[in-house]
Amino acid sequence: MVISLNWLKEYISLEGISAEVISEKLTSAGLEVEKMTDQSAIYKGFVAAHVRECIKHPNADKLSLCKVWDGQNELSVVCGAPNVAVGQKVVLATIGTNIPGKDFIIKKSKIRGAESEGMLCSESELAISDNHEGIMVLGESAEPGSAISDLLGLNDVIFEIGITPNRPDALSHLGVARDLAAIFGREVKKPALKNLPASGDIHKLAAVEIADTQGCPRYTAKVVKNVTIGPSPEWLKNKIQSIGLRSINNVVDVTNFILHELGQPLHAFDLDTLAGNKIVVDKAGALKEFTTLDSNKRQMNPDILMINDGEKGIAIAGIMGGENSEVTAKTKNILLESAYFNPSVIRKGAKFLQMSSDASYRFERGTDPHMTPFAAERAAELIAEVAGGALIAGTIDIYPEKIEKKTTELPYSRIERILGFTIPKEKVIQILKSLEFVITDSTEEKLMLEIPTFRPDVEREIDVIEEVVRIFGYENIPDNLIVSYPVHNRVDQTEFDDQIKTALTGLGYFEAISLPMISEWESSLFGNPVKVKNPLTVEMEYLRTSLIPGMLQNIRRNIHAGEKTIRLFEIGNVMSRTGEGEVSWKNLHEETRCVLVLTGEAETKEWYRDDRKYDIFDLKGDLESLAAKFSIDSFTIDSYYSTEKNIFGSVTELKSRGQAIINGGSVRKDILRKFDIDQPVFCAEFTISSLAEAVKKREGFRHLPKFPKVFRDFAFILDSEVQFNELVAFVEKNQTPLLSSFRLFDVYEHKSLGEGKKSMAFSLEFYNENATLTDEIVDREFNSLIQKISKKFNAQLRGSN
Amino acid sequence: MKEKIEEIKKRAQDGMGKITDQKSLEDFRIAFLGRNGAVSGLFSELKNVPKEEKPAVGNQLNQLRDELNASFALMAEKYESSGDEPVARVDLSLPGRARLIGSRHLVTQTMDEIKAIFKRMGFSIYTGPEVESDYYNFEALNFPPNHPARDMQDTFFISDNFVLRTHTTPVQIRIMESGPPPVRAIMPGKVFRNEDINARSHCIFHQIDGIAVGDNITFMELKSTLLSFAKEFYGSNIKHRFRASFFPFTEPSAELDVTCFICCGKGCRMCKHSGWLEILGCGMVDPNVFKSVGYNPEEITGYAFGMGVERIGILKYGLPDIRLYFENDLRFLRQF
Repeated sequence: MVISLNWLKEYISLEGISAEVISEKLTSAGLEVEKMTDQSAIYKGFVAAHVRECIKHPNADKLSLCKVWDGQNELSVVCGAPNVAVGQKVVLATIGTNIPGKDFIIKKSKIRGAESEGMLCSESELAISDNHEGIMVLGESAEPGSAISDLLGLNDVIFEIGITPNRPDALSHLGVARDLAAIFGREVKKPALKNLPASGDIHKLAAVEIADTQGCPRYTAKVVKNVTIGPSPEWLKNKIQSIGLRSINNVVDVTNFILHELGQPLHAFDLDTLAGNKIVVDKAGALKEFTTLDSNKRQMNPDILMINDGEKGIAIAGIMGGENSEVTAKTKNILLESAYFNPSVIRKGAKFLQMSSDASYRFERGTDPHMTPFAAERAAELIAEVAGGALIAGTIDIYPEKIEKKTTELPYSRIERILGFTIPKEKVIQILKSLEFVITDSTEEKLMLEIPTFRPDVEREIDVIEEVVRIFGYENIPDNLIVSYPVHNRVDQTEFDDQIKTALTGLGYFEAISLPMISEWESSLFGNPVKVKNPLTVEMEYLRTSLIPGMLQNIRRNIHAGEKTIRLFEIGNVMSRTGEGEVSWKNLHEETRCVLVLTGEAETKEWYRDDRKYDIFDLKGDLESLAAKFSIDSFTIDSYYSTEKNIFGSVTELKSRGQAIINGGSVRKDILRKFDIDQPVFCAEFTISSLAEAVKKREGFRHLPKFPKVFRDFAFILDSEVQFNELVAFVEKNQTPLLSSFRLFDVYEHKSLGEGKKSMAFSLEFYNENATLTDEIVDREFNSLIQKISKKFNAQLRGSN
Repeated sequence: MKEKIEEIKKRAQDGMGKITDQKSLEDFRIAFLGRNGAVSGLFSELKNVPKEEKPAVGNQLNQLRDELNASFALMAEKYESSGDEPVARVDLSLPGRARLIGSRHLVTQTMDEIKAIFKRMGFSIYTGPEVESDYYNFEALNFPPNHPARDMQDTFFISDNFVLRTHTTPVQIRIMESGPPPVRAIMPGKVFRNEDINARSHCIFHQIDGIAVGDNITFMELKSTLLSFAKEFYGSNIKHRFRASFFPFTEPSAELDVTCFICCGKGCRMCKHSGWLEILGCGMVDPNVFKSVGYNPEEITGYAFGMGVERIGILKYGLPDIRLYFENDLRFLRQF
């Protein structure tokens, strides 16, 4: 909201307080000054000047050479305006001045050979109007050399204030002045009625009926006859323009003036267009369509509150007037509406219509129900004054059910309990009185308060405490308390995620964070997705059911950016739903997952090694590392070629106690193609809670080995079909307690081994925790195992025949 | 045998005198003390010595070995350096065999820093669902239906009653519902706003909310706690501004600004020429919030606060575009 300092000063003396201090204090009290513009700074360098000489430029038809007196020097200025003439008092922009309407700086220059030491300015160059037809001519009395900011009253300071939704009372100059009065301990001078002579009787000219008293608790009307619609006088125009509005005509300007002075939105109807000279406030009902004064056809709903005349709709209550009843250049007789509408009714209507006006903005936050008669009467007086009409005596004020003032108690002890320090009682009382709270009774312990009706946000003692402390000043709250709290039963629900992040970054993965919304086709790859009702784009219409689509998008982008090695992980939530029907906690399922992906070069070519691309064994290895790091209970990792419909062509899964925990593999080519990726991608995804549940409970300390381990290596020639995991399973089944490790270290296929044969080499480790192993015992164990394997797999020990 | 021992002893003493560098040191070791060196050779001859002389000769040999070892140790200290120099010299300026370490996302790193500070102060850490009911996201937090306060947070709807949470504040309701006071916790997580995606705003971001509830928690404690957080996080020499604001779930409400650390308060593009940066919103928990979780507002008080995470990195590292956070470009990720 825009507030003019000069306008504010009409209601409060701010003598001796700088604009900076005002800005600082308003901000502290919750009226955040987002921008402050000091106009006298903008108009620095513009002075009044007297045109002493004016001749045609010898080299240019449309230019004049002028000699102007700025009070100290005579300057040569080239001027292009047709209206420049000797004897005029004009606006001179001196060298170095910034032209606000054009945003350039005046320099000493030569124009077609003639020297120019400044510029004579138009209104548009001064950014005070759109008028660029010639230079601005000042009154005779303008003293050469005097600052334009003073001459034209362009010495205002403009505050742009962010008003929070709880403070409709501050959406006007009077409201801001009230806060300032409380902050600086000064008085507010409220505007008063002039009690202009009035004639006739409004009740003979118009009637008001409220059919929907819930939507419209109060409706006040005034009538002014025989007005002449025309431009506003200077003072009104200046006020309206100072806060960045356009001056429209005298009547509309008065309603806007009252809105920004008192915060009460008004609407002026052309009384002669109202059928039956009647106002009826009611729900739109059967009305399907209505044309507002901006010539837009609005589709209505039955609950929108309407202002009707005897026959038809004439305005959408509190939101916008209708085209059929608006004030035009021909309007003679005016009915002024000053009403209090139910905030949530107006809000629902504005939301439905997707409209927002200065009026609806205030009504939906809550205006002052007690302000309507004063605002109507003041506006009527001003209209009579500026549009030359006849003020009609009397006011229609339909107010079926009086809105009582709210009351509350304020025990001083509560202030201290909430704040932690004491504000002196006198200070509390001064603040509340300045804010127009009425103290109906007081004791040593507490105050009984009547809350002003312009404060819909204040109801309870806590709300009053906020009022007191915000004016007292948050900067005055002590902040030297030592903050140390007892720590017990501390919970950290992010701890396990953090451990996974530590492990994966250690394994060389970079953490990604992707958008949780994905497109329909991406979501269709997994599960039953949850749809967003109002998505930003169709690409973001569904909540992710898996972290994989987002990761594939990340991979595509990185490949296109020229990345060779891509190793990413993400921990994030996925959502899915079961069944149909209305969304509820029962059919929504949300869980936190982790995904990891690998693609591209596993190893770059270096002076000590060759390059190598990622394959499924890199993924498998990382899953093994994770399983080891988190001590996953009895885990196995299986890989196989997928047979069923799956996004993985070859599957790798980590199982614990027989349950699959991590699913991964190489992503199928046809899916990769949809993501515009044409290189193999390896990926695994798991639910964090499943991994957490599979973590083995920490056992006691296991003693370090006391006796030496014994190693034996051997190689078998086997049929190519025999799989490593078959061997492992067999060895595990036939395990002797002394065999402590069984590790594959080489696989070799060559025709010299025979057709359909391969060689696998293993390293075995034997250990007895109770005694030193002898060669004899180890050999016995070793040979027995070898024999069993040879027999089972038709394997031949290499190097023996 | 005795003569042989004497001879070797003499040769060894001569040899010892000729040690000038590491190489001659090593040559000496091999010649006399190595596995096939002279001393070792003498020991292997011991088996030929007559039985009755064996103890005496053995003694003599042991003495010789100990003497040589001792003098060698002295020389070794002088000439041996680290012992790491290989026999064949290689180009040590070749690059090393580096292994890649990944990194946490900048958002995570920022959250980690914030979490660590509050953990030290005794706060727990809780998380909650991203799809929330209207009740948890708004109603229990004192956003009445059809109230303009709802406009402060543009909302994605799943249905009439379910939304993508617009803040992590609903987690405080869940924590308080799950047990009696005292509560002291922070709630990090992802939040959603139905806003156009451009360089300055996004439809998702991360937030850390906090809450402290107990018998004797005051506005003064709120200010003291959050200021000590700000000083630890932003540096103890920052200036701050604590000002009145509005949130439906707190009363009184406040915002904490710190001097813009980019322009040091002079005014720049990042601080919209105000010299101040908003870093967090906070306030005393509104009694209506306590009522909705079944706490008695007459008996307990509390404060709550919340801050955006992405913004901090944007300010701290001068990120020109918030979208960089979610594009996951490795050239971005590797920088942090």
